[in-house]
This record gives sequence, structure tokens and C-alpha cells, in this order.
Amino acid sequence: MSGQESETLEEDIKTVVWNASNQIQSTDQRTAIAANIPVAFTLLLVTPMFGLVLQVLRYYGGFQATAIFPLYAWVGLTVAVPIGWLFYKSATLKLIIDRQRALLAADKQIGSAERITTADEFMRRPATDGFMKAAVDDASDWARQGREAKLERTAASRSGSRIPWIAVPASVALIGLVFFVGQYTRPTVLVDGGSPDKQSLVIDTGSVTEASPETQIEDPAEDEIEDERKEAPKNPRKQRAVNRQGDANAAIPDNAEESDGKLNEGETRESQQSSNPSSARGAPSASGQPSKSDDKQKPRKKKKKKSKPEREREKKERKEDEKPSGASAGQGSSKGSDNNAAPSDWASTSQASTPEDENVEDEDDVDDEEEEQESRGGVQPNMRDRRTPVNRDLQIGFGNARPNPDANGRGGPSGQKKSRGVASLVLGVPIPDRVNGQPNKGRIRITQQRITPEIEESDRVSAQDRTTLNGPVGPIHHPELEPWLQNLVRRYFLDQREKAPLSSPEKDSETIISDDSLQTSNVAESDSPQS
Amino acid sequence: MSSTLSADTTAEAREAADEFRSVHAAIRTEVGRMMVGQDATVDGVLAALFAAGHVLLEGVPGLGKTLLVSSLGKAIDLSFSRIQFTPDMMPADIRGTNVLTENEAGGTRIEFQSGPLVANLVLADEINRATPRTQAALLESMQEKQISVGKRTIQLEDPFCVMATQNPVEQEGTYPLPEAQLDRFLFKLVVGYPAENDYRTILRRTTSNEQVDLKPVSDANTVIRMRQVVRAVPVPEHVETDAIRLVMATQPGNEYTASIVNEVVALGASPRGVQALILAGKVRALLEGRFAVATEDLKAVAHDVLRHRVLVNFQGMSEGISSDDVIAEVLK
Repeated sequence: MSGQESETLEEDIKTVVWNASNQIQSTDQRTAIAANIPVAFTLLLVTPMFGLVLQVLRYYGGFQATAIFPLYAWVGLTVAVPIGWLFYKSATLKLIIDRQRALLAADKQIGSAERITTADEFMRRPATDGFMKAAVDDASDWARQGREAKLERTAASRSGSRIPWIAVPASVALIGLVFFVGQYTRPTVLVDGGSPDKQSLVIDTGSVTEASPETQIEDPAEDEIEDERKEAPKNPRKQRAVNRQGDANAAIPDNAEESDGKLNEGETRESQQSSNPSSARGAPSASGQPSKSDDKQKPRKKKKKKSKPEREREKKERKEDEKPSGASAGQGSSKGSDNNAAPSDWASTSQASTPEDENVEDEDDVDDEEEEQESRGGVQPNMRDRRTPVNRDLQIGFGNARPNPDANGRGGPSGQKKSRGVASLVLGVPIPDRVNGQPNKGRIRITQQRITPEIEESDRVSAQDRTTLNGPVGPIHHPELEPWLQNLVRRYFLDQREKAPLSSPEKDSETIISDDSLQTSNVAESDSPQS
Repeated sequence: MSSTLSADTTAEAREAADEFRSVHAAIRTEVGRMMVGQDATVDGVLAALFAAGHVLLEGVPGLGKTLLVSSLGKAIDLSFSRIQFTPDMMPADIRGTNVLTENEAGGTRIEFQSGPLVANLVLADEINRATPRTQAALLESMQEKQISVGKRTIQLEDPFCVMATQNPVEQEGTYPLPEAQLDRFLFKLVVGYPAENDYRTILRRTTSNEQVDLKPVSDANTVIRMRQVVRAVPVPEHVETDAIRLVMATQPGNEYTASIVNEVVALGASPRGVQALILAGKVRALLEGRFAVATEDLKAVAHDVLRHRVLVNFQGMSEGISSDDVIAEVLK
């Protein structure tokens, strides 16, 4: 390749690099944007979510979000955020397109099998051999072709993540929700503007009311009620108990009223328990007695009696909750069953299966816990507390091979085994060591078939004379015989042979004898090891 | 014909490349007179011969594996020997052994009697039927082109090429080749069934009185020279990088490794795999009329080169994933 040709080739390669770089740049930008489209779709949710947060703040803070942001602003912001994200990612994309990559892309597009890339590399090598020069020479035509060819835009590779199209309806729904929630105001506190002792709280939580200007005006008395409401404990029962305690027994010191499970100086356990309403059910305490003033102030609402199916459903749910009774036994609730392991006949006094239990639970459904406690006055424990605990005996008998018909070794009333420790590993069901019968015999089936006998014809077999044996029959071994016995038999037959000549074959009985003698003679003639 | 290569100029390089293509075409045509419907296998065997490698042919019986190698031995004027591997074969049976002979003076002397391994073209038929001890006797000859018997080391004549066949179906009484020996084969070619038209040609040639006599169209010196031509083909840097990364991608736990390789590959390709990739790529580049190796050459020979070097683990085998599947995944 001459110098001019080499320069021409270099120029061609430069042009190819320039064209390919532009093409790669645009492809990379489109690829980057395509990769960020799923993120942009997700960002559609940002503005509506922000609006929803604003509405929540308005709900508690009391300012109007819809007045600040009209609908078109919400929609515009919702769309602008993802578009802005895409622009940002596109603007900050750093594309580094090296020469080799551009040339490889051009080679791929014109189908030159990397000839241009190879030639570009070989031209920059200090020493080249004949094959390298040939490779460079070979690439000149392809470089010219690549310079003149308009490189096609390759399709931007799609990102692997799917576009979350659900974000579009979700954002629309969220915007709708923002404006829908914006119609609601916080539940208004109506103040019966009289004396503080006659104040009553009317909390409207179920109905939607338009926030009227009258309710927007804040009353000084409303602030006080608000403060009281904030200071009021979250547990109304506890509050009532405290109130009752305060009314009925004014002699109890304040610290006992405020104590929360801790024993103070000079305080008894009973007083501390009575101050805790959750643990005061089973303990006798005067504070548990309701006072008349309480009844007046808060007329007791008789709980609406539930329908029978509803009660049964609740009973079932409660039973399911109480199933792991062993776990709940140690939690300090006096209402739960006592699951102490005491040997008794659990089957006869089963807790869950007696009709008495059902009655008790029916009562539970009717009366709430507070009423139950008050009716007992904190003195009488619940009937269930005195019930015989479940037997946890894991044995299946009484010992000494005396079976216990009620025990099954499961350690509890239910079918599931509740045993613990080593006893749980012992099989409760005796398994026989062996099975009587013969192994591998199988079942014998005898079938009878009725078949009519049929006459079968067969060819007659003509009787033939048996000829005498010609030739030796070979050695006949009698390994079971002792040597002396073999000699004895041999001598006997030899004597027989000498005494009587061979009989004619007509006589069957004699033939048999003669055969034996013949065999014996053969034995004698052969070189058997016995002889 | 000279056995040395001079390709300092473009013209000489072009001449050498043209000669390579013509020699290749001549041998291919001559072998093709006998072998029908196995063009890809013939190309692979010739590529391995010119790349100075060994070939393992795997296929069910009756596909002409043995016929192909014997035909190649006839088409090229090379010393050809065939070893039928059996379980009772010993290393001395293939390498040769020292025997006690009588000299002219009436005395005795120990003389080395060479085995069938001392040849240019060795057909190791059903190589997996021999015990590992006998298979191991091939290791030295395949890599170092020499055999050691006692204190004697014999250099094998160049060109030396082992072409082994094995049957993938018969597993009873076979001994799978060890990885060390598998790695010494440049190619593992899977011989497939011929097409319908090829069956007709096969029937016509084998069930009639038609006799095909192969004539040698090349010789050992030519093969040696063609091997030099192959080694003279330059490799661009980016192709070298691609070859290295391709082999590294088959090794579990590597930075270029695909997830499937980490899961189902027990053993990846060795550095011999890179050498084989480049050499096979050079042969293909010459046959494609190029003077340098391209990435597409590597991709074209990757399956034949890496198939026996990538070992799939038990999980992969249980999922029905073959080494070819792994290589295809790596090439993506």
C-alpha cells in the first residue's frame, strides 16, 4: 500500500469513526431515556402523594389545599415531575465513545467482519508483517464503503424492567382522592356553650358535614374541651375506674390513683391492684363498686343482645383463640383457664366440651367484662377459674398393665398430642413385634371352572421291543456308598452274573435284572475311582 | 515445496493464504469423495489438523467416524495407524515396548519395538473403552509430541495428530476420558446424522460395485507449511480480549461469568481453551478470506473448542443443561 493510499484509508477511517460516534451517541441517549421511563412512570405518583399528604395536614392543620393548588396545577405538576426527570437524566448522561467502539459498530453495520477495526489497529502498530499489511490493504475497500454508507440508527435497547403502566391510573386516582378528601373537614367539636359541668361532647364521625363558617369560629370553651380531650387517657375504662375510685373513696391518696403498677411507700398490694383496672377483676376492692353519681353521669347502656348465629360465630373465634391455652396460662389473666398440670380425669371433666362451658360463654357474650366484674364485686371469681384443669397425663394406662379407658396418651383433650419431653418420644400405641403367618407366601386363589369334557383323539403308539444296551453306559458313581459297601455290591452282582446267564429279552422281569447286572458289569470294567 | 514460510510482504501473505485455501479445498474434496453428508465434521477435522491440534469425534455408531479419519489418512500422504481401544489394552500396546531380539552374531539384545502411536495420523477408535492407565499413555504424546518408554524418549514425527472417536450412547464398560486428556483435544466434534439426500449417495456408493479409491493430494511437508501459515495470521487486540473474556466467562466465580455458569458449571475452560480458540479462529479467518482473526471467528468455533472443556455439574445435568447450552448463553 502506497503512502497516498494509506492516507486515504486513514481519512476514510476518520470519517467512519465520526459517523459511527454520532450514531452511537444518539442510540445511547435513547437507550438511557428508555431505561429511565419506568422510573418516570413511577414518579407520576409523587405529586398526587404529596397532595394527599397536604390534605392530611390540612385535615389536622386546618388550611385549604385546594385553594392553594387548583386542579390544573396538580395535573401539570404530576406530568412535569417525570418529564423533568427524563430531561435531567438525558442532560447528565456522560457518553464516552472510543474509537474502537465506533469502528466496531461501523464494521457490524456494513458487515465487514471487523476489517476496518483491525486495519486501524494494525496501522498504528510499529512493526507489521505481510499478513498485517494484507489486512490493512484488505480493509481499504470496506472503509470507503463505510464512509459512503449512511449508517442506520440501531434500535435503542429496551431496559429489562417493565413499564409500570399502572402508575398512570394510580396517579389519576390519587389526584381524584386528593380532591375528594379535600371536601371533608375534620369532625367538628360542638360546644354546648354553658357551664363546664354541663358540657357534652358530640363527635360526629360517621357523617360528612360541610365545614360551616360558624363551626370554624373557635370558641374559647372549645379550647378547654380540646385540652381536656387531649389529656384524657386513651383507655376510657381506665378513666372511668379512676373516676369511680375518686368518687367512692376519696380517702385514697393521689399517688395511689396515679400509680401505674408500682408499689409506693406505705401502699398495699391490694390498693395497687385496685388502681389497675385490668387486674382488678378478681381482687376484692371497694373501688370496683360503681357509685350512683357515676350512674347518673353516664347512664349505662345495656349492650345490645347479639343474634344467635353471631354469638356462635364469636364463640367459635374465641375458642380458636383460646386453643393454645397453655401459652396464655401464664399471662396473668384471671379470666383464662388455669392450666396447671394436675392428675385428674380430663376426659370426664373436659373444659371445652361440657355444656356448662357453653353456657358460661354465652353469658360472656351477653355481658361485657366490666359488668361481670362489677356483678361479682371483685370477690367471686369466675366459675371457669374453679374448673378442673385438663389432665396432662401422657400414659395410656394406670401402670401394672391396667388400662385406662379414658386416656390415650395424648396429654390433652384434643387429638393433637401435647406431650413434652421424653414422654413424647414414647409410642403410645403398642406395635406387635411380628406378624403371624408365612412370609412370601401370598394369597392363594382357587378358581373353579366348569368345563365339559371333550374327547381327544390321539395317535396310537405301537409297542416296540426294547433292545439290549450296546456299549458301555459309562461310570456310575455312588458317592453316597461307603467303599466297603460298594465292593460288597459289586461282588454280589458279579456272583449273580457268573451264576445266571443273561436272560432273554422276552421276560420283562428278568430283563430288568439283567440290565442291572449289565450296568454293574460296566462299572466293573470301567476305571471308576470307586473301583 | 518449501517447508518454511516467508510472508513479509503483502504479496507473500496473499500467496500463502491462497495456498492454504487451495490445499484445504483439495483435501476436503478428496475426503468428500468417501465421506458423504458430514461436511462440518470434515471441516472441523481439517481445521484441527492445520491448527496442530487433536480431534475427538463423538457420535453414535455407523456415522462414519472411523471412515473419515482413515480417508483423511489416505488423502494426505501421512503414516496412518489405527488403535482399537479395548479394556484389556495396556500402555505398552500403543506406545511400544523393549523386546529381546537375537543379533547376527548369535547374541541377544534389547530393542525398542514401536507401537501404533508412532505415526503421523493416529486413529484412537473408541478411546473411552480403554482403561485410564492406557488413556494416560496418550497424554504425553498429545501434548509434548513424544513418548517415553523406560529410559528412552522418542520424538514423534511432525505432523502428529490424534483423532479419537467415542460413542456417547454405550456407557457399559467404558471409562470416561479424564479432564486432562479432554483438554488436550483442540476440538470435540459431534457427528450428526446425514440428510436425506446424503443417504441416497451413501447407499449408492456402499451397496454397489462402485469403488472409491482415494489418492493422496497432499503430504506431510505441506501440512507442516500450512500450520505455519495458520500461526502467521495476526490477531487484533480486541479479538484477543474477546477470546480471553469468553474463556473466563465459562469459569464459575469470574467477573465475566453469567449467572447460569455459576449455577450449573463445575469446571470452566483452561488457558488451553484460549489457545485453541485463537488457533481455530485463525484457520477460519484464512478460510473466510481474511488476514486477521475477527470476533465472529471465535464465535463460530467456540462450541467445538469449549464443548469438552466446560463440565456441567450435577444440578445442570439434572436440569438437562448441556455444555453447549452454557456456551450459547456465554456467547450472548
